[in-house]
Amino acid sequence: MLGELLNPYHLQIVSFVLINIILGISIYITLSSGQLSLGNAGFMGIGAYTSALLTINFEVPIILGIILGALVAGIFGILIGIPALRLSGVYLAIATLGFGEVMRVIFVNWESVTQGAIGLSGVPHLGREVFKTLTAIGFDPEILGLKNNQFIYLIVVSILLLINIFIVWFFVRQNKSRVGRAFAAIKMDEKAAESMGIDITYYKVLSFTQGALLAGFAGALYAHVMAYISPADFAYHRAIEILIFSVFGGSEVIWGAIFGAAFMTIMPEALRFISEYRYMIYGAILILMMAFRPQGIIDVSLLQWFKKIIKFRKGTDHGTGIKKRH
Amino acid sequence: MVLELKNVTKNFGGISALTDVSFTINEGEIFGLIGPNGAGKTTMFNVITNMFLPTSGEINFLGEKISGTKPHKITDKGICRTFQNIRLFSQMTVLENVLVGRHCRSKSGVFSSVFRTKSQQSEEAMTREAATELLDLVGLSDYEDVIAENLAYGQQRRLEIARALASNPKLLLLDEPAAGMNETETENLFDLIKEVQKKGVTVLLIEHDMPFVMKLCDRITVLNFGKKLAEGTPEEIQNNKDVIEAYLGSEEDDDLDA
Repeated sequence: MLGELLNPYHLQIVSFVLINIILGISIYITLSSGQLSLGNAGFMGIGAYTSALLTINFEVPIILGIILGALVAGIFGILIGIPALRLSGVYLAIATLGFGEVMRVIFVNWESVTQGAIGLSGVPHLGREVFKTLTAIGFDPEILGLKNNQFIYLIVVSILLLINIFIVWFFVRQNKSRVGRAFAAIKMDEKAAESMGIDITYYKVLSFTQGALLAGFAGALYAHVMAYISPADFAYHRAIEILIFSVFGGSEVIWGAIFGAAFMTIMPEALRFISEYRYMIYGAILILMMAFRPQGIIDVSLLQWFKKIIKFRKGTDHGTGIKKRH
Repeated sequence: MVLELKNVTKNFGGISALTDVSFTINEGEIFGLIGPNGAGKTTMFNVITNMFLPTSGEINFLGEKISGTKPHKITDKGICRTFQNIRLFSQMTVLENVLVGRHCRSKSGVFSSVFRTKSQQSEEAMTREAATELLDLVGLSDYEDVIAENLAYGQQRRLEIARALASNPKLLLLDEPAAGMNETETENLFDLIKEVQKKGVTVLLIEHDMPFVMKLCDRITVLNFGKKLAEGTPEEIQNNKDVIEAYLGSEEDDDLDA
């Protein structure tokens, strides 16, 4: 039964959704301390190329490659984050966009290492590698009633899902803590935050670096899910796409970025039947959003409304009435 | 003495906002800083908290030179302020605002926060307890979950004081705390500042409400055009000829009140 339900094409889309969610969170994290970075496509590229080159040329295990890819992107995050402290708003956005372009040009022109515009093919595939290890110890996907390629895509989706759950858990907790409050304070009023004893430099670089690290992580995963990367994957349209995840879904809360990434990945696929017109709809939705809900679909008040509904349901279910809040 | 200013001067380009100002504040005092608009009072606050570096002169806090220290470190050392034009974290709840004020008295980082270590949990509980107590002190305990920008004006001013007190300051700087308050609110504020003084916090405040200042302060310094005009007890200040002239203007320059 499972075998009929799982269509590799759908699984592939789900894995794109999950990678894009990580990218959405990566821009949300930098935004949560009031910094608009459009360099996340560049950091994504650094993660992707680092992991791909290490696994292809040095036979580094995929897991180690992905971790190193994320770390290298994180180190670049610190290096870019420190001079970026002098900039804010639109100026920071343009400077980071410029950084992304520089990275793309490096990927194109450093042909001896990156193969230039042709890109890197033969990147070890995450699903296939896990599959190889599992079959080596005598596992057969037939037990689950699955064909090999169904099983491979299922592995990818499961791993990505676990990673997503961990990342969301991590940042939800961070947001509710002293660190999250410091980010929010800086976003709302930098001078006041500084007067309250918050080390602006440290927290801004921290959030910038966390964003870069996550984008690098997503990039490394992308390389091993696609098995092929080229500089065009990390060009400026990707930077804008990541921005749209957060702007469309809502940039105030982590759930906004998650929703935005999921919706914006699934919609073009779901609208495939109207072929070329779907990008028109995509554009129309964005214009309508900016006109009627500039804060994005999900904002703080929507979440509070949602929580109230859940409380209300629970209250009536148990016949205990609604808890009143003063 | 808690705070000592020695010949502090601050120039912005060619304009001199503060010229050679010196005064000292003793422990436990409520010290008033008054003067006409543009006299350099808020600049003085910005210089004390090192938002601006003084052009020359020295500032000592508890016997330690603090000029040149970063603003967030100043808070850590025990000076915290409120703002003339209220600067709350407007989208946060009332409680969260005070929790942020507690930042420099707690230290959990990313990992202890995410994995909720024992020390982080107890620190968080203590932070919340301190914040609730402060909200009680300023009379906002019923508004914990209200978004700060939805508070009434007088309440926002009191919340700013609670947020500043959360950092356990030894010296509290209040920039026009009574501005825009009605009579009852001003009276409540008077009691609150007295209460803060009883807790052993030294207070330096800028205020335009003269009856309020004269009733509240132990000593007062008057600034005019960036220079110190007079210093003394409220009675001395009220009877000082220079001060009366600065406020009411002498016959020749009654148009130059800026």
